[in-house]
Amino acid sequence: MIFSYNWIQSFFTEKLPKPQALAELLELHSFEVKETKKIGRDFSLDIDIMPNRPDCFSHLGIARECSAILGLKTKNNQPKIVSEFSFKNLKKKSNLISVEIKDQNDCFRYTGAFVGGISVGFSPKWMQQRLSVCNIQPINGIVDVANYTMLETGQPIHIFDYDKIAGKKIVVRRARKNEKISALDGKEYSLDQDILVISDEKQPLAIAGIKGGNIAAIDEKTKNIFIESATFDPLVIRKASYKLKLKTDASLRFEHGLDYNMTESAINKAISFVKKTSSKDAKIFKIDIFEKCPPKKIIKLDFNFAEKLLGVKISPKNTENILKTLGIKVFKKTNSTFDLEIPFERGDLCLPSDIAEEIIRIYGLERIKPTLPLGVLVPPQKNDELFWENQVKNSLKEMNFFEIYNYSFIKKNDGKNYFSLVELENPASEQFQYLRPTLLTGLIENLKINTPNYKEIKIFELEKVFQKSISGEIFEKKMLSGLIWEKGAKKGRLENEFAHIKGILDTLLNNLGISDYYFNEYKPNPSEMKLSFWDKNRVAEISLMSGKKIGFLGAISLDILGGYKIEEPVMAFDIDFEKLWTECSEECEYRPASNYPCAIRDIAVLVPRETKIGEVLNAIQKAGGEKIRDVDLFDFYEGSQIPQGKKNLAFHIIFQSDDKTLSGKEVDSLHKKIIGFLEKKEGWAVRK
Amino acid sequence: MDLKSIKKKAKKEIESAKDSVALKHIFQDFFGKKGEIAVILSSLKNLPQKERKDKGKIINEVKKEVLEMIAKKENNLKKIEAALDAKEEWIDISFPSKKIPLGHLHPLTQARRKTEEIFEKLGFSVIEGPQIETEWYNFDALNIPKDHPARDRWDTFWLRESESQKSKVKSQRLLLRTHTSPVQIRYMEKNNPPLRIIVPGRIFRYEATDASHEINFYQLEGLMVDSKVTLADFKGVMEKFFQMFFGDEAKIRLRPSYFPFTEPSVEIDISCRICKQEGCSACGRKGWVEIAGAGMVHPNVFKAANLNPKNWQGFAFGIGLDRLAMMKYRINDIRLFYGGDLRFLEQF
Repeated sequence: MIFSYNWIQSFFTEKLPKPQALAELLELHSFEVKETKKIGRDFSLDIDIMPNRPDCFSHLGIARECSAILGLKTKNNQPKIVSEFSFKNLKKKSNLISVEIKDQNDCFRYTGAFVGGISVGFSPKWMQQRLSVCNIQPINGIVDVANYTMLETGQPIHIFDYDKIAGKKIVVRRARKNEKISALDGKEYSLDQDILVISDEKQPLAIAGIKGGNIAAIDEKTKNIFIESATFDPLVIRKASYKLKLKTDASLRFEHGLDYNMTESAINKAISFVKKTSSKDAKIFKIDIFEKCPPKKIIKLDFNFAEKLLGVKISPKNTENILKTLGIKVFKKTNSTFDLEIPFERGDLCLPSDIAEEIIRIYGLERIKPTLPLGVLVPPQKNDELFWENQVKNSLKEMNFFEIYNYSFIKKNDGKNYFSLVELENPASEQFQYLRPTLLTGLIENLKINTPNYKEIKIFELEKVFQKSISGEIFEKKMLSGLIWEKGAKKGRLENEFAHIKGILDTLLNNLGISDYYFNEYKPNPSEMKLSFWDKNRVAEISLMSGKKIGFLGAISLDILGGYKIEEPVMAFDIDFEKLWTECSEECEYRPASNYPCAIRDIAVLVPRETKIGEVLNAIQKAGGEKIRDVDLFDFYEGSQIPQGKKNLAFHIIFQSDDKTLSGKEVDSLHKKIIGFLEKKEGWAVRK
Repeated sequence: MDLKSIKKKAKKEIESAKDSVALKHIFQDFFGKKGEIAVILSSLKNLPQKERKDKGKIINEVKKEVLEMIAKKENNLKKIEAALDAKEEWIDISFPSKKIPLGHLHPLTQARRKTEEIFEKLGFSVIEGPQIETEWYNFDALNIPKDHPARDRWDTFWLRESESQKSKVKSQRLLLRTHTSPVQIRYMEKNNPPLRIIVPGRIFRYEATDASHEINFYQLEGLMVDSKVTLADFKGVMEKFFQMFFGDEAKIRLRPSYFPFTEPSVEIDISCRICKQEGCSACGRKGWVEIAGAGMVHPNVFKAANLNPKNWQGFAFGIGLDRLAMMKYRINDIRLFYGGDLRFLEQF
C-alpha cells in the first residue's frame, strides 16, 4: 500500500527522520517497506501492511506506528463538527432522510450525514497532490474528500447525490436475484442474495462496501450530498467481492474487519473537508444507527510470562512506556502484572503473547541478545528413509548420473496415457494442469533439451508422484527413476544397452546392501500395454527374494520416443522408492578370501537362439556345484559360420576351493561333468 | 705393454669417450676379466714376494689413477647427458587431462544436506510429511482462519476431487501444501515435547513465476518445543545455523512480521552475500535478503495438536531452501533449479 511521506509528517509537530531513514525504522519495528520513491516534493512509501493490521491501512495508523517507534506525540487534529443534531441525540428518521438496516448482522453501524448547499469544484492542490502520490486520481472536490478521508482514517466513505435518492430513503439490504447495478467503473454487475447493497426506495445505489453506482453519483450539478460511513460484516463483503471479482480500496479495508467506532470520527473528518472544499456554511444533519458497543477489551500481562517467552528482561517502567506510545492503557498495576485496555482499532491484540510481540518489536528485535537453548540432551532420531535416499543419490552420482529436479506438474497432453491422473481445480496454466503420475516423462523431456550438447546422458530424479487408486482415492508416493542415452546408438536388439542399465541396477542394489533380487520377464496385458512407457519386448520387472516387486527397467517404447523426436534408444529404470528403501541394509558380513589358487576353463556352447543365457548359466552352476566361484560370459555370437537358428555362447568358468588347491585332474573332471550335463539338454552342443 | 704406456693409452681413451656406454667399454678394457690392468694384477701372484710388493705398489697407483680418471669423466658425461635428456625427454604438462566421468547432485540436494547436517548436530531430527494436505492441517490447525484475508498470503493449488471422494467435512478438502508447517501439527499430535525437528520438503504456491518465484520450491521447517525455549534462544540458534552454513561471518537480523501460527512473529534477513551489503539488485539495494519466516509457536497451534499451551513454549521457522542455495552459489534465477539443463547442473 502506498503512503505519502508529507501526509505522515502532517500528524507531527516535530520533524520526522528523512524518508529513507523512516522506512528503515518502519522495517525494523513495524512493516516491510518495499520501495521509497521521490515524487515532486513528496516521497511515496510502499508499505506491506500485514493482514492482521487493518488499522494501518491509513496514514493515521502509520503515524501511530511512527509515534510509538520515535516516541513522538501525534497532533490532535480531530475536527469539531457543529450539527443540528449531535450524536448524543440522534434520530433515525427525519424529513431529510431515513435509514433502514434490514439485518444488523450485515451492517453493524451506519453513520450518515446530509450536507446541503454545496457546489462541486476542485479540491485544494495539497489534497490533489497527496492523492496522486498514493496513486489516486483526483476527480472533484467531493469524490476527492471521500478518498482522502479513507486514506487518512482507514474508514471507507461513500458520498451520494442526495437529490437522486428516491424517496429520501436509504435501505441496507441484500440484493434481489437478478437485480443489476451500473457501477462507477462503467461496468454492469449482476447481483444476488449474497451481495449486500445500499438502495433507495427503488433500486440499489451502491454495492455495499465495494463500489458506488451511477444512479446517485456526484456530478457538477450536485447541490446536496449524503455521506455514508458504515461498518459491514467483513465476511459478507469478502464473499461479494470474490463473487463479483471486484476488489476495491474499500472492499480491501472492510474484508479485514474495521472497528465500528471509526465511523463517527471519519464522517466528522469528511464533513470538515467538504466544508473546506465545497461550502463554508453548509447545512449539516447527521444520523447514526447501531445496536450496541462491543465491550472494551482487557488483557492481563504477566511480566514473568513476557520475559520467559522473549528471553529478554524489560523493566515494568520501560514496558509501560512502550505500551502507552501504542495507545494501550495500563489501568491496574501489581508487582508482576499490568491490566491493559486495548484501543478499539487494535482488533489483533487478544492474548498476552500478542502484547509480548508489541513490546519486543517497539523495544527492538535487534536488542535481543542471542542465547542457546538449555534443555534435555536428546540425540536426534535417525531417519532411515532419508539415509537411503542419500545413499541412492551418491551411488548414482558415482555412476556418472546427473540429478534432476522437475516440476510436480505436467501438461494436459503428457498425461493422456494415464486415466488415474490427479487434476488441479485451479491450474496455473494448461502446461501445469495435472500432477505428475511418473517421473519418466519429465526425464525424457530433459533428455530432449540436452541432447544437442552432450554425447552421453545419464539422469535421475527422486521425488513424489501423484496418482489415483481404482476407487478414486488420491495418493502420493516417492519414486526413483532414471534413464541413459548415448548419441548415435542404433535401434535394434539392444542387448548391450539392456546389459548397461542392468549393470547400473546391479551396482546400485549392491550399494544398498540388497543382494537377493532378480529380473523377471514382464508381459503387460493389452490394456496395460497401451499405458506403458516400456517397449514390451525389452522390459524386465525387478523382484526381491521376498517376492516384493519394486519396479521396472528396460527400453522406453519407440512410440513414446517418437513423440519427443528422439532418434536413439533410451534405457530407463522406474522404482517405487518406498518399497526399495525398506529392504536396504547396512549389514555386511566378511567372508575370508580363499588362500588357494583358482583354475580357469573355457567352454563354448551352441544353443537355440531362443534359449536364455540365464538358463545356460544356471545349468553350468548346477552341474559344477560349489567349487565354481564364478562364470563369465565372454563371447556371444550368432550369424554365419554357425548353424541356423543357433547362437554360440562362450564362458570362462572359474573353479576354486576354500580348503585346498584343486588338482588339474579334479578341475578336468568337474569340467567334463559340466560338458556332459549341458550336452544332455535338447538342442545344446558343447563345441570342442 | 709397460705401465706407463698403459696409463697413457687409458688417459687418451678416457678423454675421447663420447658417452657413458663408451666409458663402460673402456672400463671393461682395463678392469674386465681380461682387462689390461686386471691381467697385470692377477700376474703378480706368480712373482717372488719382494718383487710382488714393489710392483704391486706401482700397479695399484696406476689403477687408482685410471679409476679416478674414469670417475671424473663419468661425472662430466652424466651432466652432459642429463642436460641432453632434459631437452629431448620432456612432457607437455599442459596436455588436456583425461576426463574422468562423474555425476552431479542437484544444488538443492547439496544445500539441503548441509542444513540437515547442521541441525542434526544441534539435536534436531529430520522428518518428512505429505505434499498433499488437507485444508485442516495446512490452514485451520495453524490458526489461519477460513474466509480471512490472512489466508490470501498463501496462494493455494486445490485438487479436483470426484464427487464420491469429496469429504463431507469442509476442512478435509485436499490441496498441495503451501508450506511445511502442517508437519508441526502432525508431529506434535504423535510426539510429546521436548522436541526438536526440521522438515525439509517441496511446497507449492499458485503464483506467477519470475526470477525469484516458482510454483514449486523447497522449504525447511524447524520446530523446537520445550518448557522454556525463548525468542532469544531462537536468535541464537539461527545465528549459529547461518554461520555454520555460510562458513563466514554471516550476519542476520530479525524484523517484525505476521504469521497466524506464531506470536511474536519475525522475518529473518541475512546480509547479502552477493554485494557484501553494498547494495545490489539481488537484495533490492537493501543489503539484506529475506530468507525465513519464524516466531514463537502460537498457543492455538499447541491446542490444535492437543498440547496445553500453559506447559509448553517454543519456536518455529520456515527457511526458503531455494533462496539459501541461491545465496550460497550466487544463482540469480530460481527457475534454473527446475529447468533440467545439464550445463547448469554440471557446475555443482
